[in-house]
Amino acid sequence: MYGKKGSELVKELASSEPGQLSAFNNDLFAQVIDECTGHLHHLGSLIRKIEELKKIEEIKKLNNQELEESEKQLLKAHNSGALIHHLSLLRNKRCLMAYVYNRAETIRSLGWAVERVLPEEIEEKLSGSEKEYFKNHAASLQSYMSELDLDLAVDMVPPKDPYIKVRVLEDIGNVLLSDQSANLARHAILFLRRTDAEQYISQAIFTLMLW
Amino acid sequence: MANYYDIDDVLAEQEFLPVLFQQGAEGVGLFDSGDDANEVEAGAKVELPFCLARDLHVRGVVAIDVPPYFRKVSRTRKEIEADAAHVDLRSRCQYFYELGLKIAPLAGDKSIGPFLLVAFQTRYKEVLVKAHTAASAVASKHLTLLTNEEVKLCEAGQSSTAAFKK
Repeated sequence: MYGKKGSELVKELASSEPGQLSAFNNDLFAQVIDECTGHLHHLGSLIRKIEELKKIEEIKKLNNQELEESEKQLLKAHNSGALIHHLSLLRNKRCLMAYVYNRAETIRSLGWAVERVLPEEIEEKLSGSEKEYFKNHAASLQSYMSELDLDLAVDMVPPKDPYIKVRVLEDIGNVLLSDQSANLARHAILFLRRTDAEQYISQAIFTLMLW
Repeated sequence: MANYYDIDDVLAEQEFLPVLFQQGAEGVGLFDSGDDANEVEAGAKVELPFCLARDLHVRGVVAIDVPPYFRKVSRTRKEIEADAAHVDLRSRCQYFYELGLKIAPLAGDKSIGPFLLVAFQTRYKEVLVKAHTAASAVASKHLTLLTNEEVKLCEAGQSSTAAFKK
């Protein structure tokens, strides 16, 4: 059916939680593009037929004749057929664009939440160009922030305590933090400055412990 | 016009309408997959998504017929007149109002606009009351009756209640 696959693609977006990404549906995406190629093919052949009929019409006009009724009907039918294919193409285009655009929006917002490196479980959901997009977006955010010399991605609400308690999930080894050098061994429980800990939490190396 | 990339708008235009072909159309065999004919004849009745139906209607290729729930004499209308708040609009069309707004200028029936307004006004009141007061168990049952737009309203109402209580 015309434009149905495209709408399935958009429906998938609509049913996912806002702000969350589902895996890029390569399969359906390619199918919609195939459908577009099919429409284009039909459209082309219909346009050729229309042009042929128009030529006949012109020749007949020179001889002071008109198209026969059946030919007129045929011309109209070709016209409306071409129109349907054209509209389907536009429709598919809109569905594809909406799919990509809305995903890109989510990816952009991720750029603020996590810095530079995407967690693996999110990264595997992105398509190749989306990964590239995220990388470039994060890089330009970073360069803007370093130009301003201000971290814009921090929490808008000031923390009540500059120190937080975290548990380490992965072995990293000795790391020099802003006020101390800490040994980040697995399962260690540390009391760190919030600003130091934040980047590790966003990479899922630390987990925040409640008091 | 709504945002080109708006998901809800895209999906609202995917709702199917019955249309009547005024002229034949060549090279579009997929509408009736039952037979192999590669054309649609004038006078054929086909269900088309709104996005196709609108432009075809404007160019006079097809004539739009409204979906059953917008008809002048229909169960939906009677139910709305009786008790709008408890009509299950979701099962009829998730984009009831959005689609209605788009159809109203195209269809010959002038009563669709006022009908939508009445339906929305009565239901809006009920949605807000439920959103502010009802416990989540009752609300979830009520949610199954609402269209997408009303669900959003309801959620907005709930979050504003929560913000107020803080």
